[in-house]
Amino acid sequence: MEEELLSIKNNAVSLILDASDLETLEDIKLQFLGKSGKLTLAIKEIAKLPQERRPSVGILANEVKSTIEEAIENQESNLKTQASKRIREKIDVTNPGIRPPLGHLHLVTQAIEEITEIFKSIGFERKRYPEVEWDWYAFEALNFPPNHPARDDWETFFIDSEPHKKFGPMLLTPHTSSGQIREMERNKPPIKMLNIAKCYRRQSDVSHTPMFHQFEGLVVDRGISIAHLKGVLDFFVKSYFGDKRESRIRPYHFEFTEPSFEVDVTCGVCLGKGCRLCKEGWLELGGAGMVHPNVFKNVGIDHGEFTGFAFGWGVERVLMMKEGIEIDDIRLLYSNKLEFLEQF
Amino acid sequence: MQIKILDSWLREYLKTEATHSDIARVLSLTSVSVEKLQGVGDDFLYDIEITTNRVDLMSVIGLAREAQATLSESGFKAELRKPSFVQIKKGNNFPIEIKNDPELVNRVCAVVLEVNVKETPKEIAQRLEASGVRPLNNLIDVTNYVMRETGHPAHVFDFDLLNTDKLLIRKSRKGEKIVTLDNKEYSLLGEDIVMEDGSGRIVDLLGIMGLSNSVVSDRTKKILFFIDNNEPKHIRNTSMSLGIRTEAAILNEKGVDPENALNAMYRGIELYKEIADGKTVSDVLDIYQSRYPPNKIEISFEKIRKVIGEDIPPEKAERILRKLGFDVRVDKDKLYVSVPSLRRNDVSTEEDLIEEIARVFGYQNLKSILPPVNQNRKFVKYEDEFYWEGYVKTSMKYYGFTEVYTYSLVPEDLYEGPVENALSLKNPLSSDMKYLRGSLTPSLLSVLDENKKKSEFKIFEISNIYKKRKADLPNENLAFSALVKKSNAFFEVKGVIEAIFEDLGIFSINFKKRSEGAGGAEIFVKSQKVGYIELLSDDVCDFEINFNLVKKLATRKKTYTPITKFPELIEDLAVVLTSNISTIDVLNEIKNVDPLVKDVSLLDRFEDTRTFHIIYQSINRNLTKEDVAQLRERIKKTLQEKFSAQFK
Repeated sequence: MEEELLSIKNNAVSLILDASDLETLEDIKLQFLGKSGKLTLAIKEIAKLPQERRPSVGILANEVKSTIEEAIENQESNLKTQASKRIREKIDVTNPGIRPPLGHLHLVTQAIEEITEIFKSIGFERKRYPEVEWDWYAFEALNFPPNHPARDDWETFFIDSEPHKKFGPMLLTPHTSSGQIREMERNKPPIKMLNIAKCYRRQSDVSHTPMFHQFEGLVVDRGISIAHLKGVLDFFVKSYFGDKRESRIRPYHFEFTEPSFEVDVTCGVCLGKGCRLCKEGWLELGGAGMVHPNVFKNVGIDHGEFTGFAFGWGVERVLMMKEGIEIDDIRLLYSNKLEFLEQF
Repeated sequence: MQIKILDSWLREYLKTEATHSDIARVLSLTSVSVEKLQGVGDDFLYDIEITTNRVDLMSVIGLAREAQATLSESGFKAELRKPSFVQIKKGNNFPIEIKNDPELVNRVCAVVLEVNVKETPKEIAQRLEASGVRPLNNLIDVTNYVMRETGHPAHVFDFDLLNTDKLLIRKSRKGEKIVTLDNKEYSLLGEDIVMEDGSGRIVDLLGIMGLSNSVVSDRTKKILFFIDNNEPKHIRNTSMSLGIRTEAAILNEKGVDPENALNAMYRGIELYKEIADGKTVSDVLDIYQSRYPPNKIEISFEKIRKVIGEDIPPEKAERILRKLGFDVRVDKDKLYVSVPSLRRNDVSTEEDLIEEIARVFGYQNLKSILPPVNQNRKFVKYEDEFYWEGYVKTSMKYYGFTEVYTYSLVPEDLYEGPVENALSLKNPLSSDMKYLRGSLTPSLLSVLDENKKKSEFKIFEISNIYKKRKADLPNENLAFSALVKKSNAFFEVKGVIEAIFEDLGIFSINFKKRSEGAGGAEIFVKSQKVGYIELLSDDVCDFEINFNLVKKLATRKKTYTPITKFPELIEDLAVVLTSNISTIDVLNEIKNVDPLVKDVSLLDRFEDTRTFHIIYQSINRNLTKEDVAQLRERIKKTLQEKFSAQFK
């Protein structure tokens, strides 16, 4: 019996040391230590031995078992180490990765998404209105006088069609402000809307494209004042341009707001000190103002009870004003050269 | 509008301790934007943008008045040195009979002077030059100097060249010819304001430019100094149509103050005396039929507080308005204001007055508060009008597509279908941008042309397309279009569409062969057509989908099917079919044989043999080989009957 146990031990240890992979090792383990493994069976035989021999054989059997277990454990760890080493040596981690496809969203889309999120966080709801509009929505209801230059053929695109009896000529809206009239005709205050849309003006040069995008905000309620306009403006400028940029409002003139403001942001290059890219440290962001009483009158909102403010700024403009993006010709945005689009 | 003026000229009318940079800063914050301030010798030049409503500030005197008001409210001592020009006798002793049409011209001031042509003194020439006006001779320089200083355009005729005792102001007749003083010929449109000598000879295009037949020269001895205040609407039309954008035209089309005309006349006479040995040989003629009554406005302090957001002391509000030239009377809680003529076009409502008070008070001194959030509004992410658009755009990005923005306006050859169906522009910038597009794919094809050098790429766009309607605004519909340049891309494109729809929770999508036009497929959801795929050539494939429909169908609704513990049995079945049979029909037939057919797909297609990969599974028992054999026979039988299929 003792001899048999020793032979099992020797046999097992030599097989274990020869095992070259984990699978073989697992087989060996089963072969000796499994339910019907050689050692397991031998140990069962011990019960048949005379009483006085059992303790010594039992001790030996246990020794054999732990020797085999230890050998398996050692060999397992050796094999694992070797395998890691092999994998380590085989792989060149500096080879390029296999990438999933990755395209690009247009800069304008990226800007629109960011702007929408900023205003959403302070309760503005984005809405959609027509791009092709009647004069009423684009000009007349916005208090533009009949002979205003924006209403003539040199600045606004008109559609070749019969004018509407009540709403006048059909045109491509030159600003998102037409959405103000649509919104106020449809809904009563409180109003807190954001309109981001395509606009069209009859000009094309390094800083103008005939089609461009604006974002327009309109807030109407009881007790809305210039202080609220300043609040929204400051919030947007800090959120979009960052903490280093400052904003200010100064007098300006628009037909559909009174008072009207021009909004400036400090130049991203000189941060307000003044440089060749800006006007004495400031860059114009766009227009804003308190909703004109005639506009309220035109949409049937009582301007004794309600006040409101509105702003309309160029998406492409804020995009260009953001630090780090300097595009010398805005028409590049719509040229759709992939070398350009794939940079963003 | 832009105006450039020298600091020294401004200070002729403005007495202040403020420096040039103080003046620039305060004007920018409270009035008009000083865009550039630069040194010129020992002087400084302001370059100022004037908004169209403030034509009164297109002048040295106007700016001095404004600076005085705003500086003194911003902590600087400042006073206006009021102009006091020598006044000449007004009367009817005049050698020419001038007949005005008050529909066209509000006021005419005129005087006849004997003069000597001389070099303009250096200081005047330098001021004009710094202002961007080229000095010519002293007779013309006076008119430009008067315009810059007082803000009213002026004109000078050679009296002897006019050679008439009659001048008649009227509308032009269509086709009448004129030659302007820079020797360019124009044919008139019929709405222009002109002046003729009674015989039909036109001697002036009023408010815009003088004519060569009456222009002063080195030989001029006697002049008619002439100031006309015109109806703005006519000036704008003429100036834009003929393309003559003189500074006089730009001022006149905004409407200059007629009350200012006589002052400008007196200042001109003073200057002719000073620098051209001028001697008046007539009375000053002043034809001024209809004076405007001044605008009267009353406003409560409560209203001011409501719009500005804080209290401004009544005495401060009153003082600001007075300094700006308004007449003000305070009564308890209200201001009663009378608007000066120079602001008559600009100030007529309470809000206009609030702006005057608030800006001079200083916008930087007002509070900054976020408005309250709308109450009682729910927020449902997937009902947001813009949610799915952003979702699909992001998906496309991660499928390797690059987003493009092409113009909504297209040339005729990029409009799909006959252009009579298109909305077209009345006044396009060029024929390249004349029609509103009815489809996005032609625009994407133009992007293809722009990137010829690239052998493979994928692009997409989601934008409006426009469909004309009778006597109404067009339908604006969001279209979703993409283009792949790559050989044999049809199934890649189809796969993208399938993936997008599955991700949007739309499962009933199917494709049908196109029966006409370019090769490709029509895309349906159930029986509703939602778009198409076009295989334009071996290496160009595009699609366009009605995104408004997709938005309606998209859903985030989830359903749960219990996970079965019984195993799947899988087998591949090779079927011989003629090529006119669509794979989708075969797939549907196999699937419909029995609910135990869990899924089927096309594994491979070689010559006329198609191999289908079939998965059998039951949700409540283990399937046996016998079950599968039975199912297989039923499938074969069905395919034989429907498609005359054969089996290898």
